Amino acid sequence: MKAQGLRQYITRAVLALAIVMLGWHGSAQAQTDVQTKKTLSPPQDVRAFDTPSDGGSSLTVIWSPAPYDSAATRYQILLSEGTTVPDLAAMKVVAEFPANQHYVRESKWPWWTRPATGEQHQYTLRNGKGGELKDGTVYSITVAAVLNDDRGIATPVQATPQPNWMNWNQVNNLLLALLFGGIVFYSISTARKREIFLRRIPGLDAVDEAIGRATELGKPILYLTGAHDMSDPSTIAAAVILGRVAKRTAAYETDLLVPHRDPITMAVCQEITKQAYLEAGKPDLYKEDSNFFITSDQFSYTAAVDGIMLRKKPAANFFMGAYFAEALLLTETGASTGAIQIAGTDSDHQLPFFVTTCDYTLIGEELYAASAYLSREPVQVGTLRGQDIGKALILGILGVGTILATLGVMLDVQWPQLFLDVFKDVK
Amino acid sequence: MSFAERMLKIDRRIIFLVIGLCTLFPLLYPVGLPIKISPEVRGVYDYIESLPEGSVFLLSLDFDPASKPELYPQSISLLRHAFRKNLRVIAMTLWVSGTGMADQVITQVAREMGKESGKDYVFLGWSPGGSAVIINMGQDLYGAFPADYNGKPTKGLPVLQGITNLRDVNYAVSLGAGNPGVEAWYVFGKDKYKFELGGGCTGVMAPGLYPLLRSGQINGLIGGLRGAAEYETLIGQKGRAIAGMDAQSATHLAIIVLVIMCNLFYFSLRKQAKQQGHSGA
Amino acid sequence: MIFLRRQVPLLITLITGLVFAAQYYVPHPASEQMLTSVTKWLQIIGGFALVLGVSSLFHVHAMKIRRKEAGWGYSFVLYVSMLGTIAVGLWSNGKEAIDGTMTAFGWIYNFMMVPLQGTMFAILAFFIASAAYRSFRARSREAAVLLIAAVIVMMGRVPLGEYLIPLSGDLSQWILNVLNASVRRAILIGVSLGTVALSIKIIFGMERSYLGGGKE
Repeated sequence: MKAQGLRQYITRAVLALAIVMLGWHGSAQAQTDVQTKKTLSPPQDVRAFDTPSDGGSSLTVIWSPAPYDSAATRYQILLSEGTTVPDLAAMKVVAEFPANQHYVRESKWPWWTRPATGEQHQYTLRNGKGGELKDGTVYSITVAAVLNDDRGIATPVQATPQPNWMNWNQVNNLLLALLFGGIVFYSISTARKREIFLRRIPGLDAVDEAIGRATELGKPILYLTGAHDMSDPSTIAAAVILGRVAKRTAAYETDLLVPHRDPITMAVCQEITKQAYLEAGKPDLYKEDSNFFITSDQFSYTAAVDGIMLRKKPAANFFMGAYFAEALLLTETGASTGAIQIAGTDSDHQLPFFVTTCDYTLIGEELYAASAYLSREPVQVGTLRGQDIGKALILGILGVGTILATLGVMLDVQWPQLFLDVFKDVK
Repeated sequence: MSFAERMLKIDRRIIFLVIGLCTLFPLLYPVGLPIKISPEVRGVYDYIESLPEGSVFLLSLDFDPASKPELYPQSISLLRHAFRKNLRVIAMTLWVSGTGMADQVITQVAREMGKESGKDYVFLGWSPGGSAVIINMGQDLYGAFPADYNGKPTKGLPVLQGITNLRDVNYAVSLGAGNPGVEAWYVFGKDKYKFELGGGCTGVMAPGLYPLLRSGQINGLIGGLRGAAEYETLIGQKGRAIAGMDAQSATHLAIIVLVIMCNLFYFSLRKQAKQQGHSGA
Repeated sequence: MIFLRRQVPLLITLITGLVFAAQYYVPHPASEQMLTSVTKWLQIIGGFALVLGVSSLFHVHAMKIRRKEAGWGYSFVLYVSMLGTIAVGLWSNGKEAIDGTMTAFGWIYNFMMVPLQGTMFAILAFFIASAAYRSFRARSREAAVLLIAAVIVMMGRVPLGEYLIPLSGDLSQWILNVLNASVRRAILIGVSLGTVALSIKIIFGMERSYLGGGKE
């Protein structure tokens, strides 16, 4: 706060200096123009600065509200390149709007980056919309109030756009991410010290049953990793679960078929399967082509997998990862072959289809919980606990936020915003 | 096996036949029921309507031939509307298998509306990278697409005058059948480069995009054939979507009847089982 | 070997993970430039990965043909159509039409790929009907609520439904906008937390199964 106060003080001092410089050493002609034409008092306390927390090529101008602020009066933002303005009338009008608009309180700035109080006017000039702003170039900028033929122009101020290295508007996001990370690490360390209860996930209990059934029937197991590539967490989760499933299939000596839509995912899953067979003590049973690529095209892939289901009649089908319209085509065909079907997806739009056609469905983050449930490793279980704490925290914030937002509206007060801003997604 | 049991285990091909007939008959003998406009479709329409002439409208046709029945009519309506408003249209696709179809639709509508490639619109085609293309376009449109679909250099095209990246786009609509689609355009596009975004999708995907709509992340949503029919109604040009609405009405009704029937059989079976249980006891 | 297969990938993951997490908070053009460069690398790597995929596809089907496995004829069809399409595509310069005239590649696209893909997607309607008939039963109170909601939404989304029950349109809007959106948000929050937690574990090397499963 101290630094901000100092910054404001310096800005005002520079402003005052600029006004003096412009007033006394600037163009006499310009001054005469302003004096003769204006009957509206010019906007007061105009200051301009590089828009903070952005990628550059942008300036923000702030000025005080005036008694004539109404829909009838208009504000114009005037801009010119350079430090001096020989002719105010020659400045380019880059924006114009009714005088009862563009207040700081309407902007997206959270309270910790707001450059002025809520009742002040603000306008942010960006490159491309209304003119070109070059980083590192000094611009003169001012505001004019216009009512019919009257025009009051404030004395121009100078500012230089430049890119910034930190988006301070998002500092709340960073802190919340760090907090959540901390919670996850803490939960993992707790899980290493003592056992943490995990509720039953019926879908995962059924994994062994499904593999056992496939072994009894002498039929293969079909495992799909979804539509996305390895950059998607749901595919990573599917690959992790594949490792556990492959370990069991290796132990039971059951065939495993993993058709892929993405070559990189295929390569990764080959490694995972190989490692699983090695860990199960059955490296000789591992087949390089148990993981194979079909095509990245959605419905060609679906047709091929449906064909595999109908020809090889797998005893168990696993649908893990992300899915789209192909979900029902796959699961309905699987159901028609009489296979046990276990799905796990974070594609919420396909959940109804999975729930309807599969025997067990892991909903949303249960997919991520699956590896913890199957392995019972402290790291995995601890992460789950961390997620639960995170969810409890979000629930609490939602409840408190709703109450505060309602209070703010009912009592017409601003203080609840202090809390709400902390959890707002500001870009 | 009782009647109810037999009906519950009915051959699914009979159901397929019922659905087939319910689709076919209304297409042959259309009724033309009135279509009510939903606020989400109106959101897209109103925004395009509010754009001044010469504004930049980006249409990303992110679908393949599989979704053609639903998304092709949406593309036609949107393009007709944009051309009628004399907007500068930039069309593209993030789906390689949809490139030919996207080219067809834009060429067809442009010809119909008397628009010229390079001057009134440009079809950029497809560029590899999926969502990464959006990021690249956000940095430099000409870097992401140095040439348009016909091989003409994009730099210097009159339609792209004054446009350097996605920040200069006034309105973008992604007609997405999956990933990359509407969500990718929000996360990698609107969120970073601050342009207004609307969406269109298949009927199956529409409920999944409502959270984006409610939070204002997209300003409108054209969902499936119904959405396309609503848009056709809004622009006053009847097309394939309106023609398909009767068929969709009939199939929806058929599914509802099937679901009611299956529940009736299910409850009659349950009743039978209860009665048998009682008599057994 | 273990150093190259374990430590190096983990180090790359740690560094790039932290750098790109930080990139989100840095608006400077240099950070954006870095992101663009990396996405280009990804595109290039993705291109090479396709070779991996195609070779796997060829290998699997070559084995099927050699062993004369059941349905090996389909593998032969795959070879012919794939190589044929590549040849035709190269001949037509990857264009479906040149100066308004359809190329051979355009013919394959318009008269084979479009109807085949359209057919696959159209099957969805039939499968939805059969799945609904088989599974949509009011076995419990919750299932009954789902059933009623589904019927209302199905009615409300088509003109005939709105014509028969005028209220169904508004009701289905309410269900989609309020109930559906809020439930999906709840699932999304859970999924997002799971995603962040998994990412943290991957960045800090606690989750290594994606590198091949085992602990060294």
